[in-house]
Amino acid sequence: MTTADERVTGLADQRLAASRSGYRVVGSSPAHHDFVDKVKGSLHYAADWQLPGMLHGRVVRSPLPSARITGLDVAAARALPGVAAVLTAADVPHNQIVERASGGLAELEVTMPVLAADRVRYFGEPVAVVAAATQQLADEAAELVSVDYEELPGVFDVESARADGAPRVHEVGNTLVSWQIQCGDAAAAMAAADVVVEGEYRTQHVEHAYLEPEAGVGWLENGVLTLRVSTQVIEHAATIAQILRLPQSKVRVIAAYLGGGFGGKEDMTVEPFLALLVWRTRRPVRMIWDRQESLAASTKRHPFIIRYRTGASADGTITAQQVEILGDAGAYPNLSPRVLFAGAACACGPYQAPNASITSAAVFTNNTPASAFRGFGAMQVVYGYEGQMDRLAERLGLSRTQVRERNFLAKGDLLPTGERLDTCVEVGQTMHRALGMLGEPARPSGPGKLVGRGLGCNRHPYGRTIWFRDRASAWLSLQADGTLLIRSGVTDLGAGQAASLCQIAAEVLGARLDDISVYIGDTALNPPAGGTFATRQLYMSGNAVLHAARELRDKMAPVAADLLGVACDELEFADGVVRPTLAPGMGTAPGVSLTLAELAAACDQRSISTAHLSTWRAEAGAFDPRAGQGDTFPDYTYGTHAADVEVDTETGQVTVLRYAACHDVGRAINPMRVQGQIQGGAVQGLGYALTEDMALTGGHPQAALFADYLIPNAQDYPDVLVDIVESGEGKGPLGARGIGEPPIGNVAATIASAIADAIGVRPDRLPMTPERVLWLLDARERREAD
Amino acid sequence: MNKIQLALTVNGRDHEVWAQPSATLLDVLHDELGLADVRYGCGEGLCGTCTVLLDGEPVNGCLTLAVQAVGCQVTTMRGLLGPDDALHPLQECFLRRGASQCGFCTPGMVLTSLDLVRRHREQGRERPSREEIRYALVGNLCRCTGYTKILDAVEEYADQAARQ
Amino acid sequence: MVAPAFDYVAAGGYDEAVRLLASGGDDAKILAGGQSLMPMLNLRLARPELLIDINPADKRPPSVAGGVLRLPALTRHRVLLEHDLVRKHCPLFADAVRHVGNVRVRNRGTIGGSLAHADPTSEIGSCALALGASVVARGPGGERVIPAEELFAGYWTTALDVAEVITDVLIPVARPRQGWSFHEMVRRTSDFAIVAVAAVVELDESATAVVSARVALAGVADRVTLADAGLIGAGLVGGVGDEDVDAAAGRIAGRLEPPDDVHASAAYRRRLVRVLTARALREAVARAAAAGAGA
Repeated sequence: MTTADERVTGLADQRLAASRSGYRVVGSSPAHHDFVDKVKGSLHYAADWQLPGMLHGRVVRSPLPSARITGLDVAAARALPGVAAVLTAADVPHNQIVERASGGLAELEVTMPVLAADRVRYFGEPVAVVAAATQQLADEAAELVSVDYEELPGVFDVESARADGAPRVHEVGNTLVSWQIQCGDAAAAMAAADVVVEGEYRTQHVEHAYLEPEAGVGWLENGVLTLRVSTQVIEHAATIAQILRLPQSKVRVIAAYLGGGFGGKEDMTVEPFLALLVWRTRRPVRMIWDRQESLAASTKRHPFIIRYRTGASADGTITAQQVEILGDAGAYPNLSPRVLFAGAACACGPYQAPNASITSAAVFTNNTPASAFRGFGAMQVVYGYEGQMDRLAERLGLSRTQVRERNFLAKGDLLPTGERLDTCVEVGQTMHRALGMLGEPARPSGPGKLVGRGLGCNRHPYGRTIWFRDRASAWLSLQADGTLLIRSGVTDLGAGQAASLCQIAAEVLGARLDDISVYIGDTALNPPAGGTFATRQLYMSGNAVLHAARELRDKMAPVAADLLGVACDELEFADGVVRPTLAPGMGTAPGVSLTLAELAAACDQRSISTAHLSTWRAEAGAFDPRAGQGDTFPDYTYGTHAADVEVDTETGQVTVLRYAACHDVGRAINPMRVQGQIQGGAVQGLGYALTEDMALTGGHPQAALFADYLIPNAQDYPDVLVDIVESGEGKGPLGARGIGEPPIGNVAATIASAIADAIGVRPDRLPMTPERVLWLLDARERREAD
Repeated sequence: MNKIQLALTVNGRDHEVWAQPSATLLDVLHDELGLADVRYGCGEGLCGTCTVLLDGEPVNGCLTLAVQAVGCQVTTMRGLLGPDDALHPLQECFLRRGASQCGFCTPGMVLTSLDLVRRHREQGRERPSREEIRYALVGNLCRCTGYTKILDAVEEYADQAARQ
Repeated sequence: MVAPAFDYVAAGGYDEAVRLLASGGDDAKILAGGQSLMPMLNLRLARPELLIDINPADKRPPSVAGGVLRLPALTRHRVLLEHDLVRKHCPLFADAVRHVGNVRVRNRGTIGGSLAHADPTSEIGSCALALGASVVARGPGGERVIPAEELFAGYWTTALDVAEVITDVLIPVARPRQGWSFHEMVRRTSDFAIVAVAAVVELDESATAVVSARVALAGVADRVTLADAGLIGAGLVGGVGDEDVDAAAGRIAGRLEPPDDVHASAAYRRRLVRVLTARALREAVARAAAAGAGA
């Protein structure tokens, strides 16, 4: 049986192989840990857990987007044989979820009920929850819950919601929060600019559409309410405790390996309902959301309306940016303040903006609540700022690469927030590599077809906003037999969050990958690591494990040095042993080495612990929302995508012929997984760009079935060609930058750029459906005829 | 409604289960027999996470009644493993190529690809092209990988299988 | 969601199925491939009390006799793609069914089930219309033959009586100077069609004029629709020029009141009908000319 180390991929790509640059484990692509279970089919996801006497849960949801609840009758549901509980708002001890304020301007404090009491504010809002002996009975009981609604006027777009006299989603007002970022004098610079380019860009609601629906099982164990759920954030245990009015010591959350998260499992999903049902019935309960339920009611990506005015001098140098962002938060806050903040912080892209005025507001509507989704605000704005760059190029007669090169940021430059970039900016290199991968321009495949080439650059943050004071802990234990345990509160979305930690520990301590076990995502048993989002886990937990491993090694080194008769800095930890390093030109005495087991025993004899807990703290900072200046994110990942498309001028259909992506990842801990993130992110972005739309009409979702929500399938797009730059200056472990989110950001802009090149008009609304492209072609024809 | 007794043969083993006539093969395999590699994804037959082989043919577990599988050979991905859980060569290719990220779509991808390669061999055809593999996998949705590494893994397996 | 409980019976033959349907009435449904029915059950949208499984009832393969291709109702979509008789005598089906569902759906889905389901976006339904196919329906009173033009009655509704079951689909085999074409617009490969066009044309002996043309459309109304032969027009029947084709396509599109939905507006569907009908007619005529030349 091959070991993990032996399964290093035989990738032909020389660049990826060469990225090993001095590391043994980091920089290679072993296939190990959870990935083995996944191909065997033996991994237990959240729904793959059964306990004796387990009940099945079902949420009862509002069929209206805005209504008062005038009556609620659960008698028939409760009376159904096999039903163990039917709970409503009155049964929730503390029926409020409050997102901690982000500190933006005039930020409203708005609570969200677990179960709606007197009002519903979006289609699908939970009103009651049922537990029964079988899923079938739970479904039947849910239908028997009788709710009377009196429909209320609702508001379904941000502009209407901001108007005077608009129906109030919440009594305190419809604008949840505003942010502003100001530097220089944007108005004056704009007035003095040689050219001003304006654009308005509109993006849509989209759904995460992870293949694994929201799911989990809850039970009581030793008086502790225990939930094993598909979640990105186990720290919600504290909120669950609050909801049930329990001490935090009586709530435990375990995160199963997720079948995809993408931000859709960053807020609580099934957790509060499971908790309520378990606590009431004292029995285990399982809940799996229907796909259709998830489509209709789970959180979505914020649609943005983004208005840009970009001022530049005649040579293409940007002198001023004025940006206004409006995000549709839907009916409740969730993470909206942070999403709109990220949008504002990245609104000028990877470009100089010496005079900038950026405003960004999250606005309530009676649409589906929007929250985290891979890209988190910094992604939507790429469609805007790249649209502006292409428009500027066209206005000035510059090429699209020229205008960008004239404006790219560089290390040491100031961002509009006043921060100085302290890592290198290789976006230019990524641009040339991405375009280079496309090769010769495509030719139309027949009459009535037009081809075009486009590109899109981005600057995407990794790590949480640094005024959050982020930290992550990891606990490493070298066992008596030389095997290694890693305990970390990290959750694993499928991108190798857990496996990467093993690679880092293996690199530092020399343990073999097959000798390392990693335990993740358990509030009772792991030191907290914070949730998996904001592309933060490699940065935070990777650093935590890196430092824990180094500190553990430093603790044990004197023991090894003593036994081997060398100095501490003459030791090499590799291949499961500790041995003296080879000095240049000298060999080692044969057989002079200690196994990790021998080292562990020796440490134990000298009362030196071989377990080590380390907390890694990210840099701290502060942001002044009034001045619009201060610290935002620790660092950024830069990248460029490029594409060739063909447009059928009779139907508007857009075919992607070639697609290339290049990002500076700092250091590729696992090159194959880095490639996988880029390919996966790019294809998810292609869905966002061309086919995905969770459209709502009057607050009612139009796509009721998975058949109506069009995520990319295996035939839709060509293979994404990937290249990476490893500049080594990332703030993650060993110089890595985050790569989870960045690759989704460039895509829509890249495709818009390519369509514009093909047909002479740039779509400024997502998704860029064939119908919309056809109407653009018609409009262009009419203009040319006039 | 009353339950009926169903004799099912799954991965070469015989099972007796009690289930409603209306129970789907997915629910019986997952909940009654505890097979975690057959998964609910959509209930519409679109996403492929409930793929099983019924007498060797890929079908939607969520759209097949358990009672319809009586007298047939049901194969899930775990049924491909050898002694001591040794990986099937196709599974090895998936592992080596990074074709699984979150892993949720993997069983469906593996079973559908296996069927494709087998049928080409049985019909005496050349091993499936990358385009043919794409077409065969169009009903197996993946949200994580962008499909490339899955296609790479299947092509590698198809080459291996053709050489034998 | 889990379907509300129902009883299940396997019918050993069509007569048994008819008897069970007759006694079950509205509360009984036929289970053929299940690829359209089961999702509705899973979503708790349909609530039959009894499912009558006819999969064991018919193991016949496709056959040809007297100029007619006979497809048993339980012919799986996959068989339509792969069977020699279908590829030879009805290449339109073999081509169009590539667009239906996915591997799993085609392994189980049946032609009888598809036609009985009467989805207005159905590729199979539109091909049946274009081919001038008929179905054989068996009921308590005996058998009758229903031409495809009379089969589709509205959204997911057919002219079948409550206790009738489709047993066979009859298709005139392809004739020497016939050409066919299938075009559809989908937002994503293998999806339900937004608009689909199936065309079958026949040329005269000199292969310079079109003597008949059947154009069937999916996604344009509450049912698959056969374009009025008059719309195809004298110009086309008698000439094969591009303008004639475009004009015919325009007339067909102009007569329609297609639906507006999340996937496409009515205006766009009408536009697609014009474009795809023109493409389909051109391609069908070209194939007919090539077939005539080869004969």
